Amino acid sequence: MSSKSLQRKMDRLLTLENQGKLRTSTMNRSVRKLSANVLALVGLALFLLILMSSLAAPLISSYEPNAIDLKHRLSPPGEGHLLGTDQIGRDIFTRILYGGRISMFVGLGSAIGAALIGVSLGTYAGYTRGVLDSAVMKLSEIMMSFPQIILVSILVTIAGQSLWNLILIFILTGWPSMYRMTRSQMLSIREQEYIQALQAFGIGSVTISFKHMLPNAIGPIFVNITLSTAMFILQEAALSFLGLGVPLEQATWGNILNVAQDLNILRNAWWVWLPVGVVITLFVMSVNFIGDGLRDAADPTQVG
Amino acid sequence: MKQDTIVEVKDLCVNFYTNQRCNRALRNVSFSIRKARTLCIVGESGCGKSVTANSIMQLLPDLGRIESGTITYHGEDETVHIEKLPRNGRKMRSLRGEHIAMIFQDPMTALNPVFSVGYQIEEMIREHLELSRARSSEHAVKLLRDMGVPLPEQRVKEFPHQYSGGMRQRAMIAMAMACAPKVLIADEPTTALDVTIQAQIFELMLALKEEKQMAILLITHDMGVVAEMADDVAVMYMGNIVESGTAEQVMSSPSHPYTRALLDSIPVLGRGKAQNLEPIRGTTPDPYNRPEGCQFEPRCDYATEICRHQMPPEEFVDTSAGDDTPHMVRCFNCKELTHV
Amino acid sequence: MIPFIIRKVLVLIPMLFVISFLIFLGIELMPGDAVDFMIPPDALATISQAELDVLRAELGLDDPFLARYGNWIGQVMKGDFGYSLQSGVSVRDLLAQKLPATIELSLAALVISTLLGSLLGVVSALNKGRLGDHVLTVAGMIGVAIPQFLFGLVMIVLFVFQMELLPVGGRMTPGNEAFFQRLDHLILPAIVLGLSMTAGVMRYSRASMLDSLSKEYIRTARSKGIPEWRVNLIHGLRVAMTPVAVLIGFRLPILIGGSVVIEQVFQWPGVGQMFVAAVRSQNTPVIMMVAFFSVSIVLTASILVDIATALLDPRVKLS
Ligand SMILES: Nc1ncnc2c1ncn2[C@@H]1O[C@H](COP(=O)(O)OP(=O)(O)OP(=O)(O)O)[C@@H](O)[C@H]1O
Ligand SMILES: [Mg+2]
Repeated sequence: MSSKSLQRKMDRLLTLENQGKLRTSTMNRSVRKLSANVLALVGLALFLLILMSSLAAPLISSYEPNAIDLKHRLSPPGEGHLLGTDQIGRDIFTRILYGGRISMFVGLGSAIGAALIGVSLGTYAGYTRGVLDSAVMKLSEIMMSFPQIILVSILVTIAGQSLWNLILIFILTGWPSMYRMTRSQMLSIREQEYIQALQAFGIGSVTISFKHMLPNAIGPIFVNITLSTAMFILQEAALSFLGLGVPLEQATWGNILNVAQDLNILRNAWWVWLPVGVVITLFVMSVNFIGDGLRDAADPTQVG
Repeated sequence: MKQDTIVEVKDLCVNFYTNQRCNRALRNVSFSIRKARTLCIVGESGCGKSVTANSIMQLLPDLGRIESGTITYHGEDETVHIEKLPRNGRKMRSLRGEHIAMIFQDPMTALNPVFSVGYQIEEMIREHLELSRARSSEHAVKLLRDMGVPLPEQRVKEFPHQYSGGMRQRAMIAMAMACAPKVLIADEPTTALDVTIQAQIFELMLALKEEKQMAILLITHDMGVVAEMADDVAVMYMGNIVESGTAEQVMSSPSHPYTRALLDSIPVLGRGKAQNLEPIRGTTPDPYNRPEGCQFEPRCDYATEICRHQMPPEEFVDTSAGDDTPHMVRCFNCKELTHV
Repeated sequence: MIPFIIRKVLVLIPMLFVISFLIFLGIELMPGDAVDFMIPPDALATISQAELDVLRAELGLDDPFLARYGNWIGQVMKGDFGYSLQSGVSVRDLLAQKLPATIELSLAALVISTLLGSLLGVVSALNKGRLGDHVLTVAGMIGVAIPQFLFGLVMIVLFVFQMELLPVGGRMTPGNEAFFQRLDHLILPAIVLGLSMTAGVMRYSRASMLDSLSKEYIRTARSKGIPEWRVNLIHGLRVAMTPVAVLIGFRLPILIGGSVVIEQVFQWPGVGQMFVAAVRSQNTPVIMMVAFFSVSIVLTASILVDIATALLDPRVKLS
């Protein structure tokens, strides 16, 4: 903060304090910090807007996402088609709405699936250490030394292109980072005295790790799930672009955007690719804002 | 003001602005640091000792600010009002290191881990003294030798992590002494060290005080250290200096209930085995929710009605002190107390 | 130093064997085999099953799995990476031919993103809470959120179609093959790949710098009376540099992934584009070698990172 505005803020606080108007907030510190974080709030609003309109797609648009209308091919925005039509006359706006459902499902589903595997392994192995931990650690090391897109491409070719395969593959390639994050949390929580007390009572590892330790690591896990959701949505788009994503019949944000590879459309029909590109960017950004806000709110080392 | 005062702090108030609140960390603090004398500031954790030290060096964090009061440095040929100087301006920087130097609690974190000890000492030398590269590195070696670091020619090239804790603090002191400052501020310099090392460090500081006629501001929470090191003492509680004077006055005739409680609550070396230790009742108040009057009132056995509403003014117990630091106490009931 | 490196390499070797086995296993699981892809579909009708079997036996496709793996890894160690099913060219020649283009692009992007990212991150940290910091943070957020290929396409529309400043696609115009003559081809893909990675570097170096600036040695440095720029840039930055150097190493997988996409966008004739083509046509020898190659690079880079860390931070011991 520039020193002048900081000085002004201090003066304001001082006057208020002198008038006895300031009280230490009783609201949960994390909630207070989150609600003071403008970017996180903007992110949340954007996120809800995009999510809700996708879910309410049939109420918002009267078109079918896959209805072909060869008479109105590549018609620009306006006249019945809010964002125009694509090369076979499908309504772009409708496709963005319906595509959002699948893209968000892929992103969120994969992130939660990866978290389920990574977090449970990380919680248990991070607490007990031992053989299981070193084996899983080695495996995650191996998986993480592959550039993500190369690994995913190979797996897509093996499994074949379909929505469920894609989610499965994302889960398969996404859990190692979740595992490592949880594990490192567990390693530090493990050193705390109450854990030793629980051990002294003879309480089992599963109970200690999942019931007593995991809740203390839940903040970073949530942050990681949000950020992974954003990452998977971007990956879905990139895979579509490479022709390895969800089959083209299904509208996803990546599949809609994919059309821009056609130089003619790229040059002359911006409405086909630009709006969906903006939507992807805004959505990923909103999720990142939320994730960052959560992280800052949960971080006890930050003042505020 | 006494003739030999080097740094004079008067009515210093410092506030912190965090959590959307204002924390009055220092409230009308006054004391003098005098030539060739050691002033010890004692008090519990959080009472504002470090804030006091950092204010003198203008090293407060961004969210802290000097609200009022004066900090005056009486140099050989100039008098500087430190509180008026811009924080990292040229004038303030010329005081730091050259006139007033500081050492910190944990020498491990206070030294930069990626530069050699020699580099960090030479950096100080070259900033303030116009010495060539070769001369300043010679000077660094000499400083380390003077501070009792063995094999200084070799150790000067080593990194802080290669030093032991005590050696690290010696290196810190070597750095602080590089430009022969008039005042050395030491913020709990031995808290991170074990007891034998602690004694060595204090011995070194005493020797430097005698030899260089240097003034020392020593911050501690240990009454034993006070008994050993202090010429003057200031006792701090919740941002106020509640009692100050010479070590003799404060230690043998404590006049503030807090000082007494403090002396009763800790074993003091040399007081014999039969010490009746009594912890101070209650806990320190929340700095955001302070008592209205005397800060110590809720925990004080001698508190009366007036203590609840008003902070006691500075009162001098014994005005016949002559050239000594006057014995000051802030307590409404100190007269009654002395008869107990 | 030398024993340290040797030890690292010794750990690397078993790891590479495991990975090569996994890759081989993965390829094995792919639908179809080499023969299916060597013969055009319309020709398949005219070829009898017996002829196909002979072909399979000749290619060694009927051997047991482990035998084929042993065979393959033996050849790889001799430097024989097999032949592309598409063109019949040896994979080694293909790699040698495509690799310079990819290295050229990745290196340019790495330099851009590292320099720009750490510079902006440090500037942002030094101005924490001010307008400049907010602007950079939001810009970084957009940079992370925009799909790489969309960014590339928008840049093509802007600089190639609208302003007609730069040539479209490819690595060089025939006849103009000297480095400076093909610079105009390199600019756009390098900037797109570089900028798309800048945001991450920026966020990270900002955090690292802020962390360093909050340390106690900063106060010590100030207490010496040295100027602010020395406090920030000598004491603050020097410590913040180590984690940023580590990050560069860890970004290699992202860089490789990014260049796969960007090479596709700009028709850049590198390994990434070859990989995508190979995946689409299930050209297994090529897929295998590209995967194996990229993992090896990533693992080697991690050793280099360890060495760099040790050099930058005197606290890290090599023993
Ligand atoms: N960086 C800071 N930000 C906000 N408040 C601070 C900061 N530093 C100190 N304070 C506040 O100032 C008051 C005095 O703190 P200070 O660090 O001076 O205590 P201290 O006497 O040095 O204690 P210790 O013996 O633990 O070092 C405390 O109430 C503390 O909350
Ligand atoms: Mg302190």
